Amino acid sequence: MRINLVILICKQFFKKTFFSKGLFVLLTLFLIVLTYITVNGWYTFEEHHHVVEHHQGKERQSWEANPDKHPHRMAHFGSFVFRIQHPLSIFDSGIESYTGNAIFLEAHKQHTANFSEASLSTGLMRFGDLNIAILLQLVLPLIIFFIGYASITSEKENGTLKVIYIQGTSIKEVLFGKTLGLFLIAALFFIPALIALWSISFIETHTVNSALVLRALLISISYVLFFFILCCITVIISGKSENSNKSLLTLLGGWLLFFIIIPKTAQVVGNSIYPNVSKIEFKANIENEVLKQGDSHDPNDPQFNKLRDSILKANNVSDTKDLPFNYGGFLMSKGEAQTAKIYANQHNKLIKTYQKQNSITNSLVLFNPYLAIKNISMGLSGTDFNTYTNFLVQTEKYRYMQSQYMNDLQMKYISNEAKSSEGKVHIVKSDYWKSIPKFNYEFVSLSKTLKHQILALLSFSIWLAIMLIIMTKFSNHFKII
Amino acid sequence: MYNLLIKQFFRSKTVWLAFGIIMVLGILSIGTGKQFVIQKEEAIAKTIEKQEEHIKRQVKLHENHIGLLLYYLKFSFINPVEPLSAISIGQSDLNSHIQNVKILNLEGQKYDTDLVNPMRLQVGNLDLSFLIIFLFPLVIIALNFNVLSEEIEKGTWKMVTLQGISPFKFLIMKLGIRILFICLVLGVLFLLSKLILDIPFNTDFINIIIISYLYIFFWFSLCFFVILLRKSSNTNAITLLASWLLLVVFLPVLVNNYIINKYPVDEAFTMTIKQRDEYHKRWDTDKKETMDKFYKHYPQFKKYKLQEEGFSWLWYYAMQQMGDDESQHEKEDMYSKIKNREQLSSQIAQFFPPLQVQLAMNTIANTSLTNHVDFLNETTNFHEKIRLQFYPKIFENQKASAVNWEVYKPEFFISTANFSWIKNILPMTLITIVLIGFAVFRNFRYFN
Repeated sequence: MRINLVILICKQFFKKTFFSKGLFVLLTLFLIVLTYITVNGWYTFEEHHHVVEHHQGKERQSWEANPDKHPHRMAHFGSFVFRIQHPLSIFDSGIESYTGNAIFLEAHKQHTANFSEASLSTGLMRFGDLNIAILLQLVLPLIIFFIGYASITSEKENGTLKVIYIQGTSIKEVLFGKTLGLFLIAALFFIPALIALWSISFIETHTVNSALVLRALLISISYVLFFFILCCITVIISGKSENSNKSLLTLLGGWLLFFIIIPKTAQVVGNSIYPNVSKIEFKANIENEVLKQGDSHDPNDPQFNKLRDSILKANNVSDTKDLPFNYGGFLMSKGEAQTAKIYANQHNKLIKTYQKQNSITNSLVLFNPYLAIKNISMGLSGTDFNTYTNFLVQTEKYRYMQSQYMNDLQMKYISNEAKSSEGKVHIVKSDYWKSIPKFNYEFVSLSKTLKHQILALLSFSIWLAIMLIIMTKFSNHFKII
Repeated sequence: MYNLLIKQFFRSKTVWLAFGIIMVLGILSIGTGKQFVIQKEEAIAKTIEKQEEHIKRQVKLHENHIGLLLYYLKFSFINPVEPLSAISIGQSDLNSHIQNVKILNLEGQKYDTDLVNPMRLQVGNLDLSFLIIFLFPLVIIALNFNVLSEEIEKGTWKMVTLQGISPFKFLIMKLGIRILFICLVLGVLFLLSKLILDIPFNTDFINIIIISYLYIFFWFSLCFFVILLRKSSNTNAITLLASWLLLVVFLPVLVNNYIINKYPVDEAFTMTIKQRDEYHKRWDTDKKETMDKFYKHYPQFKKYKLQEEGFSWLWYYAMQQMGDDESQHEKEDMYSKIKNREQLSSQIAQFFPPLQVQLAMNTIANTSLTNHVDFLNETTNFHEKIRLQFYPKIFENQKASAVNWEVYKPEFFISTANFSWIKNILPMTLITIVLIGFAVFRNFRYFN
């Protein structure tokens, strides 16, 4: 293959397309929309961030403002966690709109994360989210198809392909040249979007330390690969098609199938095959398990009575009142440990079911580059499923720590004489509220995210290899007339 | 003539492909809807069964402490699932249709969500409404974009005009076959969903059918309009696809984004903090002040006086009540923001048939945000009713056995939402008529 010929064809295609009147309009429109989305998304992100920090601060303030009181009161006062968004959610908001934003953490009880944006929105929400990634994932492919569908067929229809061939250019070189030309045109569209991505990662560095630049780099590489593959597909299909009409129809049909129908169907089928438990069943499962293992809230529970007797024996006393620590606090800490474990078990099961539901989509990434880029982009932008479940795990961990902290205080400082947590009698100093650490949310590390996306990344290399093979191998059997 | 045109129509591969895709996805979508409804109904059945068991167990555990018993007891309030919701799942997969509430502070309880895979929520549902709104227009476009231009490009149009029949009539006949075909396909899907989903043949179902057909006619009129601009097949395809992209993909997303940003519901956070703080701070403040507020809200309970020292359930429930009472303001702010979102959505939707159809279908199927907000408000009333029944019993420290627990079965929400015909159907019909009228008017001279 002669490189200079490829470059010549590439240049010719680029120039011809670049100076067509349609492209200018399209590019201008695209850039206007891109600018709007970026500015708007950024503004929304900053606003949301501000709202979250404001409320988180306010929440902590009222936590710390609690006077001296019984620690169990604080265990139920509880704390709220408002979920912080990853800065790259400006680029790709992933499942952000559908995940809960506020979760209440108190003793004995796990709450759901509530107030997702979608739950407060009208049915229009379900048409989709507005972000830069949507432009790159759904719209730009269409633009590439529109620009490239006639790349070969028009030469065939004009009879120029024959001329090029007779002059000694191999079809392989034509294909590569056209692909490169189309890719350069596509670059006019995606480079500004990547610039938006990079400016986010350079300006938002103060928010988290989670390797923003590295993430942006990986996202950029993935998108460049994705678009290159799409350009190859477009040119190959144009080459295989009899005429421009058929080429356009094939590409559009492919878009509809690969970008809309398959992703939706895959997820729906996944959910049908692996239905998850309803909330009522979920709670019932936990309750049954608690009843089986012993209910610390039931004063006649045999398991906990056995525990009490052994504690009494070990401390050589006959009544819990004579124990050297607060028995109520002890009982609650045991109960908490037990229910937290049961809950974690059930929650893990639920998450596993969700993962099974997603598994069909996740395995299709090998066949569908759109699903691959969608998953990679979401994962690296910290807005995917794993980031969210990780958030839930972190909040539960904090909830457990907070509850046990209060139980410890009760064991240590509350007398066994205390009958209720009311009044100013059995209390602990308020300094203890201040000394409990704040909830510190950490995004999933880059290496963990990448582990989930290996298949998707692999799919790009496979597609790329297949494209190159098709272009070099099959192009020789090309019909030029 | 008709015979030949029909034969020609069914010879095209596009027709069979479109038919195949619609049928496969149609059956899948009805299946999804069915599964959705079944899952929700199973949850309801389980709730009813659980509540009885739950009350029995708790009553046994805390027989002599009705104050403590009511701290544990949960009462269910259920938003029933309409068979129609299988056609338009709407927002009902996001929001819980079952409320389990204790008579404690309600605002901390009623926003709990269901367990749904967020990935599924993001990808969205494949229900019949999606098929109608998203895919039918594409099929209509695929069948119609070259109805006239193909004849012109192949040179057959001249032959048609030479036949002596009105070319306009000929075009209408060709379109008529396509309209009939699509209407039949849609009819089959509705019939299937009626049979599979056991949808009663009532006004709601008819409304959904009528809206769907009007929407289909809107897309035909748009195609008709574009065809009669007499451009090439390629231009027609691109114009129609661009309109589809704009109307079904971009505008909805843009509109929704605009609405969300215009009315951010930060009050949800403020409210949720406030309802906690207002209850909890009462543990440390003057009991008399709490009780005065409580008596002011419920003068009928003034006769129950607070004991001087120690813990009492009267005081405890008064404190809980403060969580709700004192966060009223924030709650109202939050609801008014949601209302703003709804209003703006439906206002903008009037001008864009896809948005209009989606919102209208959700409203009819009781799966809209409005329906959920109504359900939440009715939950408040339900909660208040139960509260008022138990407050005197607790304050008098009645025995739990004295209460007739049989009465406490889960209750169902009855939606009173009404569907406005004029608002929903008039704008879309007008747009359709204007498009057809304009196309005919422009081409008057060709067809005379």
